[in-house]
Amino acid sequence: MTSKFWFLAKQSLNKKIKTKWFALANLLLAVVIIGLLNLDSIIHFFGGDFSSDIQIVLLDKTGNSEDVFRPSLALAEESFGLERKIIVNVSSQSLDELKEDLKESDKIGVVLERDSAHYLKAAVISNQKIDTLSYQTIIQALNTSKTQIAMRDADIAPEELEKIMSNISIDRIILDDDAKSEDEAMSLIMGTVFPTLILPFFMLVVFLVQMIGTEINEEKSTRSMEIIISNVSPKTHFFSKVLASNAFVLIQGILLFLYSGIGILIKMSSNVGSSSDFTGQISSIWDSLSQSGIMNRLPVIIPATLILMILSFIAYSLIAGILASMTVNMEDFQQIQTPIMMICLLGYYLSIMAGMFDGSIFIRVLSYVPLLSCLLTPALLVIGQIGVIDVGISILLLILLIYFMTKYGLKIYKVGILNYSTDKMWKRLWKAARVKE
Amino acid sequence: MLEVKKISKSYGNHLAVDQLSFKVEKGEIFGLLGENGAGKTTTFRIIMGLLEANSGTVTLDGKKIDYSVTDRIGFVTEERSLLTKLTVKDQIVYYGILKGMPEEEILKRLDTWLEKFGITEYKNRKIKELSKGNQQKIQFIAGVINTPELLILDEPFSGLDPINVKMFQEAILEMKERGCSIIFSSHQMEHIELFCEKLVILVHGQVVLGGYLKDIKKEYRKKNIFIQGDISVEKIKKVSGVVDVISNAEEYQVKIESDEVVDSVFQAVSKSKIRKFVVEEASLNEIFIEKVGESYDK
Repeated sequence: MTSKFWFLAKQSLNKKIKTKWFALANLLLAVVIIGLLNLDSIIHFFGGDFSSDIQIVLLDKTGNSEDVFRPSLALAEESFGLERKIIVNVSSQSLDELKEDLKESDKIGVVLERDSAHYLKAAVISNQKIDTLSYQTIIQALNTSKTQIAMRDADIAPEELEKIMSNISIDRIILDDDAKSEDEAMSLIMGTVFPTLILPFFMLVVFLVQMIGTEINEEKSTRSMEIIISNVSPKTHFFSKVLASNAFVLIQGILLFLYSGIGILIKMSSNVGSSSDFTGQISSIWDSLSQSGIMNRLPVIIPATLILMILSFIAYSLIAGILASMTVNMEDFQQIQTPIMMICLLGYYLSIMAGMFDGSIFIRVLSYVPLLSCLLTPALLVIGQIGVIDVGISILLLILLIYFMTKYGLKIYKVGILNYSTDKMWKRLWKAARVKE
Repeated sequence: MLEVKKISKSYGNHLAVDQLSFKVEKGEIFGLLGENGAGKTTTFRIIMGLLEANSGTVTLDGKKIDYSVTDRIGFVTEERSLLTKLTVKDQIVYYGILKGMPEEEILKRLDTWLEKFGITEYKNRKIKELSKGNQQKIQFIAGVINTPELLILDEPFSGLDPINVKMFQEAILEMKERGCSIIFSSHQMEHIELFCEKLVILVHGQVVLGGYLKDIKKEYRKKNIFIQGDISVEKIKKVSGVVDVISNAEEYQVKIESDEVVDSVFQAVSKSKIRKFVVEEASLNEIFIEKVGESYDK
C-alpha cells in the first residue's frame, strides 16, 4: 500500500508540475516579479519626459541669493532623490519679459525678492504644471535658501551654520527586550516589508486550495474515483493528495523566492538606473529594522513563522480536501473555495492592520485562531505585541485542528468521495459527518 | 469463487439491496439484471468494497474482499471512469500500478490489448481526443490489464456499435477461457443470453428470478413457434393454448402456453404451404416481462 501511496502522490504532483500551464504560469510569474523589482530600470530604458533636464531660469532681484540658492537646490535634489538633472541659468530680464519667454516653454522661472518681514519671497513660474517631485525639490531649496539668508543676515559663522543645518544624531536604545517598540520604524515594517513577505504565503494558500480541490473534483466528476478507491483506501488517497499539494506549494514557494533573488541580483548589477540607490534603500531598511530591535527577536520570529506556515499549509490542504470530497461539479467547488479564501484574506488584512491598533485584544485573540494565526501571529510578534507563550498557544491550537480534521474529516472524506447526491453541499457535508463508522 | 451471501444495503429508509445471495464459480459468467435503481450498481460497489453492506458477506475464494485482494479484481464501471486529460498509455499505467503491477508488464499487456482492439495508434493520444467507442475500449483494457480472477462489468456494451460489441464479446469469452469469473449487467437481453450461464433478476433490490439460464428457460413453460409460409393467422389464434400471434417481416411468431400446444398448432398449419416450423424457448426478455411486468429492453 505504501508504494501505491507514493505513486499517487507522485502522480498528483507530476500532473501539476509537468504541464505547459505550470511552465507558462511560472514564466509569467518570473517576468512579473523580476519586472516589478526592476520597474524603474525598465522605465528608464524606454525613456520619456521624466528623463529630460529641468531648466530653471533664476531671476535674482536680491542680487546676492544665487550663491545660496544653487547649493540649496543641489542639497534638495539629493534629499528627494531627483534623478533629473537641474540646470540653473541666471536671467537679467524683467519679470514681464521672463513671463513672456516662459510661454510655450518647459522652463521654470524662479524669482527671488527681498522681503522685509520674512527675509525672502519667491515666485515659481511655469507654462504648465510641474511634476510633484520637481516642485517639492524647488520648494525645499527655496526654504533652505531663506533659512541660510536669515542666518547670514544674523551674522552666524558658516561652521556654526553647518552644525545647525546638520541632522540630529539619534542613538536608539530599548531597555526591555520584550517591551513593545515605540519606534516609528514599525510603520515601515508593517507598511512595506511585512505585506511583501506574507503576500507569497497568501498566494501559495490559494494555489494549494485550488490544486487539491480541482484534482479531487476532476477524479470525482470523471468517476475515476470509483476505480481509484476500489484499489486504495480513501485514507491513502487523501493523504497522497495532501502530500502532493504541500510539495507543490513548497516547490512553487522556492521558485518565487528564486525569481525574487534573480530580480534583486539584476537590479543590483544593472547599469541602467541607480544600483547604488537600491543598495542604499536596502541598507536603510536594514538600519531601521536594527534600530527597532527586531533583529534580537529573529531567533523566535523565523522558526515560529515557519512552523505556523507549514502547519497552516497542512491544515488548509486538509480542509480543502475534505470539502472538495463533497463536491460533484465545479460550481460546488467554487462554493467551498470562497469561505476558505475569505478566512485567508481576513488573516492577511488583519496582519496588515495589526500595527494600527496597538494592543488590540480582539486582534490578539484572533491571532490564536487556526488558519488566521499563520498570518496574524508573525505580524504581532514582529511588532512586539505578543510573546513566545502566545506563539505556543497558536501552534498548539493549529495542531489540535489538524488532529481533529484528520480524525473526523477523514470520516467525511470516506463518505464524500463516492457520494454523488444532488442535495445541497452543506447538507451533504452534515450528513456525511453524522454517518457512523 | 465469488460468494455473495445475504447482503442488504439501505440508504435511509430506502432499501437498495435486500438479502441478495449468489455464487460465481471460476470461469463462469454471471448476469445481474434489473431496471434502473434495482440495486445492480450498489451490489457491484459492495463487492468492490466501495460500500459496506448493512448485513451479509462477500468473499473471494473464502476471503473477505478488502484491499489485500482487490489487485485480483477488475472493475469496469457504467460511466467512463477515465482521466480524460491523460494519454491512453499514462491512464493504463496509472490504473495498472494501482493494481500493484510493474510498469514494464503493464506496457507489454497494453500493447497486446491495443492490437487486439485495433487501436495501437492511439497509445500516446489523450483520452479526450478519442471517440466514445474507443474510450470504452480503453476503459475495458484498464479493467482487464491485471488479468483479474474476478471481472465486474457494469453495462459494458452500452453505446457500442455491433462491430465493437463483437470485439468485446470475444474479449470477454477469452477472459472466461482463462478462468476469470465474470459478473456483468446489461440492458440488452441478447448479451445476457449469449454469455451468461447463471443470472439473477433484481426488482427493487430483491431477487425475483435466479439460477442457471438453461434451468430458468426450461422451467418457463411458454414457448415460441416461428413459422414461414402462407398460413391463416385467425385459424392459429383459435387453437387452444395459443397466447398470441405476431406477424414479423417474413415470419410469424406464435406464442404458446406450453410444449403440449405445438401439435395442435402444427395440425392447424399442416395443410398450408410452410417453409419453416421451428419451436424455440421463450426469450429472456419475455421471461423478464412476465416476472417484472414490463420490458427490460428500453
